[in-house]
Amino acid sequence: MFASVRSTTLLGVVGRAVDVEVHVGVGLPGFTIVGQPDEVCRESRDRVRAAFLSRGFAWPNRRITVNLAPSGERKGGSGLDLAIAVAVLVADEQLPESLVHSHAFVAELGLDGSLRGVVGAAPLVSAVRDRRVVVAGANVAAARAAGARDVVAASDLAHAIACLRGDADWLEHRDDDVPAPTAVVPDLADVRGQPVARLALEVAAAGGHHLLLVGPPGAGKSMLARRLPGILPSLTEEQAMSCTMVHSAAHVPMPAGGRVSTPPFRSPHHSISLVGLIGGGTAAMRPGEISLASDGVLFLDELGEFAPSVLDALRQPLEDGVVHVSRARTTLTLPARFLLVAAANPCPCGAGTPGVCVCDDAARARYLRRFSGPLLDRFDLRVNVGLPAVHDLVDGTNGETSSQVARRVRSVRDHSAQRNVDATSTHGSRPSLNATIAVDDLDRVAPLYPAARAVLRRELEVGRLSGRGLHRVRRVARTIADLDGMPDVVGEQHVATALAMRTGLAVLTGGAR
Amino acid sequence: MSDTANDTANDQRITAAAIAALPGIGPQRLRTLLSTLGVHDAWHTLRGDLAPHGHIAAMLAHNHLGRSLRRHATDQLLERTAAALADHAMRVVLRDDPEYPASLRGDFAAPAVLFAIGDMSAFTKRRVGVIGTRAASAAGRHFARRMSRELARSGVAVVSGLARGIDAAAHRGALDDEDESTAPPIAVVASGLDIVYPRENAGLWDAVARRGVIVSESPPGCAPDAFRFPLRNRILAAVSELLVVVESRASGGSMITVDEAAKRGITVMAVPGSPHSESSAGTNALIADGATTVCHADDVVIALGLDHRRVSASSDARARPSSADRVVLDALARAPATLEQLVAVLDLPVQEVALRLGHLEVQGWAVSNGGWWEALLAS
Repeated sequence: MFASVRSTTLLGVVGRAVDVEVHVGVGLPGFTIVGQPDEVCRESRDRVRAAFLSRGFAWPNRRITVNLAPSGERKGGSGLDLAIAVAVLVADEQLPESLVHSHAFVAELGLDGSLRGVVGAAPLVSAVRDRRVVVAGANVAAARAAGARDVVAASDLAHAIACLRGDADWLEHRDDDVPAPTAVVPDLADVRGQPVARLALEVAAAGGHHLLLVGPPGAGKSMLARRLPGILPSLTEEQAMSCTMVHSAAHVPMPAGGRVSTPPFRSPHHSISLVGLIGGGTAAMRPGEISLASDGVLFLDELGEFAPSVLDALRQPLEDGVVHVSRARTTLTLPARFLLVAAANPCPCGAGTPGVCVCDDAARARYLRRFSGPLLDRFDLRVNVGLPAVHDLVDGTNGETSSQVARRVRSVRDHSAQRNVDATSTHGSRPSLNATIAVDDLDRVAPLYPAARAVLRRELEVGRLSGRGLHRVRRVARTIADLDGMPDVVGEQHVATALAMRTGLAVLTGGAR
Repeated sequence: MSDTANDTANDQRITAAAIAALPGIGPQRLRTLLSTLGVHDAWHTLRGDLAPHGHIAAMLAHNHLGRSLRRHATDQLLERTAAALADHAMRVVLRDDPEYPASLRGDFAAPAVLFAIGDMSAFTKRRVGVIGTRAASAAGRHFARRMSRELARSGVAVVSGLARGIDAAAHRGALDDEDESTAPPIAVVASGLDIVYPRENAGLWDAVARRGVIVSESPPGCAPDAFRFPLRNRILAAVSELLVVVESRASGGSMITVDEAAKRGITVMAVPGSPHSESSAGTNALIADGATTVCHADDVVIALGLDHRRVSASSDARARPSSADRVVLDALARAPATLEQLVAVLDLPVQEVALRLGHLEVQGWAVSNGGWWEALLAS
């Protein structure tokens, strides 16, 4: 008469346990689903009934009511199909309740009764990982990556029921997910010359400073940015899990093993929509690119081509490390602890060099208006990247390798994490990075030599530096000094270098001075 | 009696301005009309009150020009013109007026009518045109300003075009000193004097009008159309005794002015620049063609045949760079460079170069603009 079977639905990057309750009773034959199912979920009725008939199960010609508890929240997706089918069988007394009570079911049904994988298997399964989870073969890897101890797979509804009864064996472990080709992170050794750009990458990686690369087409801006993940420290267990959840929820191809283990690198095209970047959209609230890039690098090539409204939406997540997406029915918080790297041409013609640029002022002003001041201000490092010198390209030797640089980055991060541990962070979640040292702690964590202090005072006096800019320069100088092997007091040369690596996009303001 | 004479003279100016404002009347036709018929007869011929003769008749017959002019040459136009002139304290100077610049009066392409705001007596001073590219380097602007300041100080009126870049820097330099003996600045612009272009120079525009004079052959209301700039450049060349090109690319507006100066036998001088600097390609080519080099305001003053000793008295107030800083400054002197280029050329650590640049900037030997560093050597 009544049955309750455990399944899950997805909201953002988090799975939530759902009890699929089925009541089979007297009344006109019918099949209703209540408990705020979305469109896909409501269509389960037809898939479940067809699967029953295809696989030779008797469809109870009575009044069937399915409730998705807790019924106050909206449910989405097709992952409830199998649970509904099993619950109907139990309620119709075709299957003993005792065989399913310690299980959870996460799979979509085909009309022929076959089990299909679902989007977001990792977060879905993680919500029920204390049970035996029945999934489609395609989701086994993701389910295991989510930390579920007992994952089993079946090929179709009849097979699953037979296994539950003990009449058949679950499928051997199969990994039907097409693994993404193992991404080879390019090596920094390929970059010849360009010492300042290399230093900027290293500082960005060591201190978590957002980086803007300004230079003409062909200067190697994208080439440099793509090498950043290679010098970032590898992910911690916790970060790897979080990345895996987000990638699974967004249905992004996973590396072999169904688990993200290296810092992600996301490089969305500039035609991206607001929802694509930030997240939201469907009832399941798909995570956006900033969440996919969390704990890794978000690279925005051709920054000037992005819609200004899209770029401005980055400001809050950049400050908070998370993004709060609110819709009429739901509000949720998605991770957004990404390192932002952007590339831009210095002006519409791309030359930028004084005397070579042929842009008229109106065109340059139009171009500059695309970048909002507050967004540019978020970039601690704004570096000019010139065309590589010919002799570097032809005769030059390869630079340091990524692993050499990564070692320095690692040691600075470790050391600064220890030093900054008492510091309250502007960021909450990641107190260890220099980029997030709170203003109140700067004097303690990054004290200045008198000469360095004098340089900053002068910059403030001539109006080249704002109060906020001052703090940013001090944080960058802290990182440069750390890389220089001076973890205590920040010197004049470190401040001068931080200031020199903050100029980039100002070329867009034209020659009038 | 004399009031009546003044009124008549004033009416004549307004009428001349109105003719200049007629659609289809350019500098050449205006010159032909006014020199053949005089202001009064020209106006009535255009209105159709007098029958045109000879080449005037041919001119008016061409493309039905006469018919369209008859439609526009109305009393309302006279009123509008008079109001616009009064609103902007704008004066009309005709070619036979005593205050019309003497060097322009005999010119083969002299404008028949000049509009002016300010004091026309500036044209009685010694005059040097200072011109250059709008996309000037910081070093070029620095040089233009300093040279113009010293020229003005030694009594030479600086003539330029109120454009961006070198022009603006030249005017600024000429305005830097406030005392009586400083020569007034002269601006020759392309648009009508009520249309400030470029907008960002509005303050400079007012200052030039207050301390010197702005002239244009375009009647009030004329937009800064592209075709007006080459015409402006011929006036700029013609009123200058000497023309100094501070920075120019190989082709550009400055080169048009240079050609106009050459046609008139006016000496062209040029400021040499680094062969690596695009914005000095034009000036270096001029020097290769035989233009006299200008490395200091003295060079110009001597070329004018004036006593240069007063100019030389000014000295550089900047502190000498240290020898370590000097190395970076020398590298920078060749051409504007980014931090990265300097690091590559000098083969020094990034931090070292950044530190030296910081010192040079404080001392005023270098400026940075959008990641590009430039040396300010010329003094």
